[in-house]
Amino acid sequence: MNHTDKNIVQYKPLPGDFAIWVFIFAELLVFGILFISYAFTRKYNLELFNHHQQFLDRETGAINTVLLITSSYFVVRAVDAIKKNMSQQSARWLALGLLCGAAFVVFKILEFNEKFSEGITLSTNIFYMFYLCLTGFHFMHVLLGMVILAFILVKTHRRKYNADDHDGVETGASYWHMVDLVWIILFPLVYIIR
Amino acid sequence: MTRFAITSSTKATLIWLLLVLLTLVTYGLGKIGYSGTFVITIVLASVLIKGHHIIADFMGLRGTEKKWRWLMQGWLLLIVAVIATAYRYS
Amino acid sequence: MKYQSQLVAQKYFIAALSLFLGQILFGVIMGMQYVVGDFLFPEIPFNIARMVHTNLLIVWLLFAFMGASYYLVPEESERELYSPALANLMFWIFLVAGALTVLGYLLFTYSELAALTFNELWPTMGREFLEQPTITKVGIVIVALAFVFNIGMTILTGRKTVVSLVLLTGLVGLAVFFLFAFYNPVNVVLDKYWWWWVVHLWVEGVWELILGAILAFVLIKVTGVDREVIEKWLYIIIAMTLITGIIGTGHHYFWIGTPDYWQWLGSIFSAMEPIPFFMMTLFAFNMVNKRRRDHPNKAAVLWALGTAVMAFLGAGVWGFMHTLAPINYYTHGTQITAAHGHMAFYGAYVMISLTMISYSMPIMRGKVANSQAAQTLEMWSFWLMTVSMVFITLFLTAAGILQVYLQRFTDTPITFMQAQEKIEIFYWLREVSGIVFLIGLIVYFISFFVKGEEPQGVEA
Repeated sequence: MNHTDKNIVQYKPLPGDFAIWVFIFAELLVFGILFISYAFTRKYNLELFNHHQQFLDRETGAINTVLLITSSYFVVRAVDAIKKNMSQQSARWLALGLLCGAAFVVFKILEFNEKFSEGITLSTNIFYMFYLCLTGFHFMHVLLGMVILAFILVKTHRRKYNADDHDGVETGASYWHMVDLVWIILFPLVYIIR
Repeated sequence: MTRFAITSSTKATLIWLLLVLLTLVTYGLGKIGYSGTFVITIVLASVLIKGHHIIADFMGLRGTEKKWRWLMQGWLLLIVAVIATAYRYS
Repeated sequence: MKYQSQLVAQKYFIAALSLFLGQILFGVIMGMQYVVGDFLFPEIPFNIARMVHTNLLIVWLLFAFMGASYYLVPEESERELYSPALANLMFWIFLVAGALTVLGYLLFTYSELAALTFNELWPTMGREFLEQPTITKVGIVIVALAFVFNIGMTILTGRKTVVSLVLLTGLVGLAVFFLFAFYNPVNVVLDKYWWWWVVHLWVEGVWELILGAILAFVLIKVTGVDREVIEKWLYIIIAMTLITGIIGTGHHYFWIGTPDYWQWLGSIFSAMEPIPFFMMTLFAFNMVNKRRRDHPNKAAVLWALGTAVMAFLGAGVWGFMHTLAPINYYTHGTQITAAHGHMAFYGAYVMISLTMISYSMPIMRGKVANSQAAQTLEMWSFWLMTVSMVFITLFLTAAGILQVYLQRFTDTPITFMQAQEKIEIFYWLREVSGIVFLIGLIVYFISFFVKGEEPQGVEA
């Protein structure tokens, strides 16, 4: 970018396509309302929430947080690379990001499996209802994000993007970071603070 | 005021390190099992720091128009503030 | 018109509009019966009028969607329709079946109709919106399958575009979810549970995909904005529709005997259902502002923008008003629901049908757009119908709020019929608005026959 004149402030546009940002804002609104509902429902069911929260798998939760953060980081590097016209490096970073996403999915499935085998369902109690809804809804976003990443990975690998034209990569990256951002709040909220 | 170029890989790596560190702290606090205002404050503060960097640096909102930064950072701040309110008397 | 077989759409549209007129006539009759209880009794009892009003709505919208698909798909796929003959045949089957069913409603008592159509062999009748005799339902399935097959083959063997694939997804969903109409368990909770899979997943799920696809198509045509831009918006809108709409079904599961968690899931997710409609509004206005050409069919542009605004208001805002469980606890099944139903159906599905008709009918009649005089009249009908629908909605909302208060909320509640008497004035006002709507519809019909100098331009 050029050095800007002191009097003229030059803003960058939002990275990626504007439509994805409208989508991101809408998604954040949905998650925001879910988080707020959780926090206030807990306030009125304190004992229940505090009791059952102990049985959540904090280790998997923490590992998954690190995985998503790392994945986001790889995707940042992928965007950096494509801006320098290095599409093969970019594809490699994207593949690493995708791999972390896949690992997240595996850990999450194991965690859900454990809960389900204990006979926990949406009807068990209001805490598990929220736990399953929040993590389950987020889980589906991880899957959607991975589909998008896989799509841009293939296109990057086929050298369809370059330094001048990489809107697609930035669009996918923005969505993926949103999935990360949501988990950053979800993990301490549901697994940690009491 | 100087603005750093966000594309710097080193900077991204440093932020990644910070995020992982803060996550480990959060996990550690949960592991010890302490509760109360002090722990909640620390954890929520770390959420704010992490969220801020993801929005500004990973999502790349640093240097974009004010309204977008307000919208995103405002969302983060609002959610954390509401959570803090709901947890205050527990 | 680029392909000869698109012309099939014309008869679907004419049938749709005729049935639309029927629907409104019965609406006006029923509006009268709200205040003059024995109006046209015993020839047309209230329950029959209501059934005809809602059934005609659904049938004419299906005609319009089919017509829209037959027009849109060949152009998008860049080939003739797979089988125009099949499309013609299905038109007549559907029309005859629909006419017979409505006649059945009017000429027989409902129980006679049930006996006459062998309902006891596979009972599916007697449920709101799904009142049709079982054999009519079978007919609908046959028509829908032949239609989806015809459209599907055209799309899959031609150029595949996002618009046509989203449309196809919506149409397949429409056919699949209708199958739940055949499941009629004895347990009332289960019955209601699955009944919503037809009703809700149609209007708050797959129909929105059809709406999005048609709107995108018309906007591509009238604005000349790049297809890629429009397709991106379409992707995001349908993603948001499905994310909110599917779990949003839960807002019908608050009080019917389903598990508690539906109060949470239903409230939260359906509270988000306005978002895709809001995006649609942003989308339509953005595209029109970025237009690369001024299409001579101004009326079609007006309908398209009108759809975006009214769908957001009717489906989005009026739906949100009573979607949260603690509020719905009071408003459930009152005139608030009727208010929402009227504006949502008109704003979303009636208006998108009229948008498509407004855009494609002149082209099928061999001109780019209607004459200035005809368009002016059409725009008058737009405003007459839209404004009167806004008033119908407002009056019903006022009636609903009063009803909720008098009958459910106050410390000294009164009975249903007592409450109805107290809100009579709003029903009168609603009836007047209804008549204005009918006038608007007649003006709309007249606009098809107004001649004048037609604008010149490249067919788009």
